[in-house]
Amino acid sequence: MYFPMQHAWTGEETLGEHLERQGVSRRDFLKFCGEIAVMLGLGQAMVPRVAEALQAVRRPSVVWLQLQECTGCVESVLRSSDPSIGDLVLDLISLDYNHTLMAAAGSAAESALQTAMAENYGQYILMVTGSVPLAENGIYLTIGGRTGREILEEAAAGAAAIFAVGACAHFGSVQAARPNPTGAVGISEIVRDKPIVTLAGCPPIADVVTASIVHYLTFGRLPDTDGEGRPLFAYGARIHDQCQRRAHFDAGQFVHQFDDEGARQGWCLYEVGCKGPATFSPCPIFQWNNHTDWPIGAGHPCLGCTERFFWDTMTPFYARLPGVAGFGVERNADIIGAALAVGTLAGVGAHAIATGIHKAREGKKITTLPVVTGSAAAKEKSDA
Amino acid sequence: MPRVVVDPITRIEGHLRIEVMEEGGRITNAWASSTQFRGIETIMEGRDPRDAWAFTQRICGVCTVVHALASCRAVEDALGIEVPPAGGLIRNLVHGMQTVQDHVIHFYHLHALDWVDVVSALSANPAATSALARSISPWPNNSETYFAEVQDRVRRFVQSGQLGIFTNGYWGHPAYKLPPEANLMAVSHYLEALDWQRDVIRVHTIFGGKNPHPNFLVGGMASAINLEDTGTINAESFSKIQGMVQRARRFVEEVYWPDLQAIASFYPEWASIGGGVSNYMSCGEWPEQGQSRDAASNYFPSGVIFDRNLAEVIPFDQMEMREEVTSSWYEYSEGSEVALHPWDGQTTPRYTGPQPPWTYLQDYDKYTWMKAPRYQGRSTEVGPLARMLVAYASGHQDVQGMVNDTLGRLGVGPAALFSTLGRTAARGIETVLLARKMEDWFDNLVTRVRNGDDRTFNGDRWEPSSWPASARGHGLLEAARGTLGHWVQIENGAIRHYQAVVPSTWNCSPRDAQGVNGPYEAALMDNHPLADPERPLEILRTIHSFDPCMACGAH
Amino acid sequence: MNATTTLADESLSREAPSAEYKRVYLWHWPIRAMHWVAAGCVVVLAVTGFYIGRPYFFTSGAASDHFLMGRVRFAHFVAAAVLVATGILRVYWLFAGNKFERWRALFPVMKSDWVNLFKVARAYLFIRVEEAPQYLGHHPLQQLSYTGIYVLALLQVVTGFYLYGLADPGGIFFTSFAWVGSLLGGAQIVRFVHHVGTWLWLVFIPVHVYLAVRADVLHKESTVSSIVSGNRYVRADIEFVDD
Ligand code: HEM
Ligand code: HEM
Ligand code: NFV
Ligand code: SF4
Ligand code: SF4
Ligand code: F3S
Ligand SMILES: [Mg+2]
Repeated sequence: MYFPMQHAWTGEETLGEHLERQGVSRRDFLKFCGEIAVMLGLGQAMVPRVAEALQAVRRPSVVWLQLQECTGCVESVLRSSDPSIGDLVLDLISLDYNHTLMAAAGSAAESALQTAMAENYGQYILMVTGSVPLAENGIYLTIGGRTGREILEEAAAGAAAIFAVGACAHFGSVQAARPNPTGAVGISEIVRDKPIVTLAGCPPIADVVTASIVHYLTFGRLPDTDGEGRPLFAYGARIHDQCQRRAHFDAGQFVHQFDDEGARQGWCLYEVGCKGPATFSPCPIFQWNNHTDWPIGAGHPCLGCTERFFWDTMTPFYARLPGVAGFGVERNADIIGAALAVGTLAGVGAHAIATGIHKAREGKKITTLPVVTGSAAAKEKSDA
Repeated sequence: MPRVVVDPITRIEGHLRIEVMEEGGRITNAWASSTQFRGIETIMEGRDPRDAWAFTQRICGVCTVVHALASCRAVEDALGIEVPPAGGLIRNLVHGMQTVQDHVIHFYHLHALDWVDVVSALSANPAATSALARSISPWPNNSETYFAEVQDRVRRFVQSGQLGIFTNGYWGHPAYKLPPEANLMAVSHYLEALDWQRDVIRVHTIFGGKNPHPNFLVGGMASAINLEDTGTINAESFSKIQGMVQRARRFVEEVYWPDLQAIASFYPEWASIGGGVSNYMSCGEWPEQGQSRDAASNYFPSGVIFDRNLAEVIPFDQMEMREEVTSSWYEYSEGSEVALHPWDGQTTPRYTGPQPPWTYLQDYDKYTWMKAPRYQGRSTEVGPLARMLVAYASGHQDVQGMVNDTLGRLGVGPAALFSTLGRTAARGIETVLLARKMEDWFDNLVTRVRNGDDRTFNGDRWEPSSWPASARGHGLLEAARGTLGHWVQIENGAIRHYQAVVPSTWNCSPRDAQGVNGPYEAALMDNHPLADPERPLEILRTIHSFDPCMACGAH
Repeated sequence: MNATTTLADESLSREAPSAEYKRVYLWHWPIRAMHWVAAGCVVVLAVTGFYIGRPYFFTSGAASDHFLMGRVRFAHFVAAAVLVATGILRVYWLFAGNKFERWRALFPVMKSDWVNLFKVARAYLFIRVEEAPQYLGHHPLQQLSYTGIYVLALLQVVTGFYLYGLADPGGIFFTSFAWVGSLLGGAQIVRFVHHVGTWLWLVFIPVHVYLAVRADVLHKESTVSSIVSGNRYVRADIEFVDD
């Protein structure tokens, strides 16, 4: 495969040039190379080669913050295929900070973060998984004694591009579901002065994440996005309009219960609650885990995981429409609606009967309206 | 006495902070603190029980199937739903592959760098490395050229001056004992394992549509079987699954397990370090016929061991569990001193720690979001070691065979199991047995399908109208990291109360009302070295040997 | 509308022998046409809509042999388009129509409307029936309910077109109705509102039909036929608020 960093992107700066711009002299630079050579157990003879390598085009620095989350998004990226996570980390980018993979811990890890941000200020890519809990002054998530909010704001300040990876960074995902005990919010609530590309999903498909990075590195700009900040190349179409079961939807062939005859013929999952008609995601096209399959393909309805607040708007997951709050899960709109309609009919009937009785009692009074009424009405009119 | 703080602990799931007291190169006191909370148990209230698996699954994306499975089992237990055998066997394959893949990732990508010096691999001799690899395994990728190629890739990487994820590693630390060749071999397999885990986990994609977070279903699995249809589990799916099961077993037997033993042989002293608490528990797992409610059919037995006494296995009973919050940022309506069974469990956050940014937590009585679970009041370790010990002490053939064989090869006795190294070795032993077991489940599934026994879902109690006005149930299982339980109470079709007690809750438990430490803390205080407080490599070794998952433990 | 005619019709004069009746021309054909076409659309939309919401007929065999849901949705969208057309016509007629058809007569915009609304409502509850003011066109209660029904129609239309647009992101419907989604909080909620809206129609229609028929039976004032022929026959000796 070709390496995007060979293409133009945020100023092809090398560490050598960079250090120079920082006022580091050539002498100091070679000294620094010497230290690295030693660290690598290479001996002084290697110093010129190290210097040479260091002055080559650099891999773009990527800082990956993991805030209030479940690590599913990082795991998802670990499953990426083209480029694989190995290619990504060794050849394409310099993953300078990521809790799940990095060797350093504690203060060594934190200094790696500070160095990466300082050396690549204004140029590094910031990936964020996880939400920011705002309740109680942020104490529901601290790293090294600092709140997620503080860490995010610091990292966002020097970032050239920001990717919100997954539903947590998008809108808070499950922890933001009613009643959102920790006041979890997506990162766009915190970082308002920079464009954020949202790679929606719980988690997103690995290829969507890697492709977005490659897009940025290769074309030197962020991909076009929809109103939610989701790249169009991935989230530009609705699942329902790309689904392999759509022919069955149009034909009127539905799974009524899991593992029924319809299910065994791959029919449409609409009736068992599929949210494909309300969900924008590349699942049917990209598919999951190296194009192996996807939720609907494997017989389960879509949960709508790429849509904001899907834990509240798409539930109950096995019902076509949201339940009506306060009526318990069983009470759906139809039961209430039917009750209303029937009630109305009853009311109409009752009123008709009442009218009959009234008419019988009052005799002609109603049918032949006495002239008084008319003049009374006329009086009204003149008043008005 | 200097205080040493490691925060963040990296190469784990989630946000873990370790504080210790160090004196003369030894750890004298330790505090384990989980610094993230989300409130998922509270979020469950009022929701459709059939949705619970999806919510609780998001407790963790590393052990991504186990909460979904525990949740389904809990709801099925409450509503009296029997999963058809084919559905149960599919669950076994999904859960089994999860555990195998999780363990291998843990070894290479989370744990290995505690023992393997990447930089030292640069000075290895590829020919010698090839000889070493050949001597321990028939794995095909063991040629000199292969290792030379990997070494070159790593060298180019290092020489670029951008060390990426390897920046600031404790390279050159005296505690690294492997010869360069062993380091190179391990680094090569670090990279190979990255591709392997991505391949075999696709068992989840075929049955659950995706990974992480494959789909589950109360009453079975949604992936209908029909050999004659293109849109279902058919012959093509089965051949893929079979391939993955075989590749999983081969990699485990020919790469992971040999590597683990080779590396372990250079660190014998770690077989007497980091033992910690002396109580171990397993609820049993992997129902051979997929019928999870038939506990007797489990491949790994349930049981409890107290005081490291392998002569007696106490019968396991979830009613003996309690959770305390004396050292945790929660309050109980009856006061912080009581211990509650999950049926009466409460999750009411009440932060009493310092306002951030802060420097130390050890000065506060309450110092973590982790609750303190206790079994009959005892601090108890869970996980692969606990499972293997319970099976070993119960006379489990396969386990005894492998454990004795391994101890023999390392030239140590059973006591060596109660240690940092023991934990890591037990995980490997279990992985080998499970990787083999999956082939049995696959064959079992195929046979059933052949005989027309291919139901994957039982819908008798799917409709809430078929539910009692009020019901409660629990779902237990052995997850990669240990004993997991979900407890659900359902009222008028909605969840009224939900509690989860999770492996990492047990292992990362803080001090209880009696001041007794949890397993992490106890392990760090058990004959534990710390040569250089600036580079706390030893702390990582012991903590990683538990494979911590904070998002799981404090949810 | 002063054209007064004496009715020779026996059945009517039996009830009120002395009464003088006059014929009033209320609804021009556009209103009547619009009314019945719209009524038809709504019935079609409700029936097809509920099928879309919860399919109650199914097919089997090869999917390629069937297009049931496809046709139902097509019918829904055609009816929707027609409904919108009638709506446009009605808006035009709000200004082009006669005084019974103009906007002042359709919406309760005058103070007197609200005063009389109370009296009329009271009459429907059999209280001081004789004090109820008389109208030739829509009386305040009708004004209110018709205003309501037009608002409801508007709601169904915007939510409907939002859903319609989802199939073609970036398309004209998608872009012009995107605000509906952001306003209500996502496609699922919009669908829900659209679905509930249908039930509101099912509440309105019977009441509406009942009242129309009732007025006829009770007062022998040919209300129903008015929406057919456009004419109403009313007693000449009554003064009407909107005469
Ligand atoms: C889906 C069914 C129907 C709908 C949605 C509907 C709607 C309407 C609307 C919106 C108006 C007000 C016209 C205007 O001034 O803009 C109206 C008037 C009227 N409708 Fe209907 N209608 C329906 C069915 C019927 C039926 C079945 C009848 C007769 C039995 C009827 C009798 C009338 C009458 C008599 C009027 C005249 C206005 C008045 O009473 O003051 N409607 N209808
Ligand atoms: C009186 C007016 C209308 C009624 C009673 C009505 C009723 C319904 C109902 C009950 C549904 C099913 C909703 C669900 O359960 O998901 C529906 C769906 C829909 N309606 Fe309407 N509707 C009306 C007007 C419109 C209009 C004006 C449009 C504009 C195009 C429209 C477009 C749609 C669309 C696109 C759907 C979703 C179909 C699908 O996604 O397959 N509707 N309608
Ligand atoms: N502890 C834990 Fe899990 C596991 N294995 C859960 O049950 O990792 Ni996320
Ligand atoms: S978005 Fe979903 S998968 Fe990703 S971290 Fe959040 S909960 Fe886990
Ligand atoms: S399965 Fe879901 S997405 Fe696919 S056609 Fe049916 S409703 Fe649409
Ligand atoms: S649930 Fe998510 S993964 Fe795809 S199919 Fe639906 S968007
Ligand atoms: Mg809990």
